[in-house]
Amino acid sequence: MDCTKTREMIQDHIDGCLPPDAAEAIRGHLGACLPCAAEEGELRRVGDMLRLWSAVQIGERERKLSPLWTRVRAGIEERREPGLARLLRRWFWVPAAAAVAVVALLFYPSDGTRAPFHPKSFDVTVESLESDTATVALVDKGEGLPRVIWIIENGKT
Amino acid sequence: MGRPDPHPGRCLPAIALIALLLFAQIAMASPDAPVAIDVGVVVASHEGPTMDPALSSIRNQLQSMFNYSSYRMVDRLNRTLSVGETGDFGLPGGRSMRVTPVPSKGNKVRLAVQVMEAERNLLTTTLGLSRGGMVIVGGPSYQKGVLILIISAE
Repeated sequence: MDCTKTREMIQDHIDGCLPPDAAEAIRGHLGACLPCAAEEGELRRVGDMLRLWSAVQIGERERKLSPLWTRVRAGIEERREPGLARLLRRWFWVPAAAAVAVVALLFYPSDGTRAPFHPKSFDVTVESLESDTATVALVDKGEGLPRVIWIIENGKT
Repeated sequence: MGRPDPHPGRCLPAIALIALLLFAQIAMASPDAPVAIDVGVVVASHEGPTMDPALSSIRNQLQSMFNYSSYRMVDRLNRTLSVGETGDFGLPGGRSMRVTPVPSKGNKVRLAVQVMEAERNLLTTTLGLSRGGMVIVGGPSYQKGVLILIISAE
């Protein structure tokens, strides 16, 4: 292999892109030709310097990008909230509506219901009590029992 | 600094429901709020040991106050009345009851109650109850027992 051919292929050789037989031929020529070996050494040094420069540039750019990337990542994480929290947010109105329904049922019983009585208090004030045709009695058996107004017709209890 | 919610409308139903609950609470606590009247019409007699399941929650009270062995609820009447509005409740044996909420203070309700048998006035009374309170009116005979009216106001 001559010097012209070697210098055409020398960069590919450095990059490791040559087939084995061509690489072997180049290595053979570089071992015997000082100018081509010097050329190869120069190209290798330039390559190393370029890689170093690129790494420095990337490092500096990364420092600038870092806060922005942190915010982007936080946003992504926030959107990727746990399934339960997402469900709670989406379906929060269901328990709220159920609570309203329960309150409505408790406070506005429908007509004709057979639901048990649930008195909250037996505290009753009787302001007036009269009858034109019967005797009426107010019976108070103490706390915990409702007051009773008893109508006695024709002297019967 | 917090990120603004991208879907602010999602909270609106919940806020509306909470506002509705608060409004309902305020409306119900108002002295002039409508009064839900609940009347259980019970026939008490000595005909067998019977306790209507609907009366199970006040079984002890009934048995402490009266000595009947049978308590049968024959009707349950509900009306929601505004202050000044009169509700007529038909009772067995040609009787009727008229209930009128009258103005009151605080969480109390005042009811003007009249029990009639045809044109005869059996009872005229004015009662003051707490909301959720209960009073019993009884005595008129019916079939082989007596009528007991369990009156609740909410």
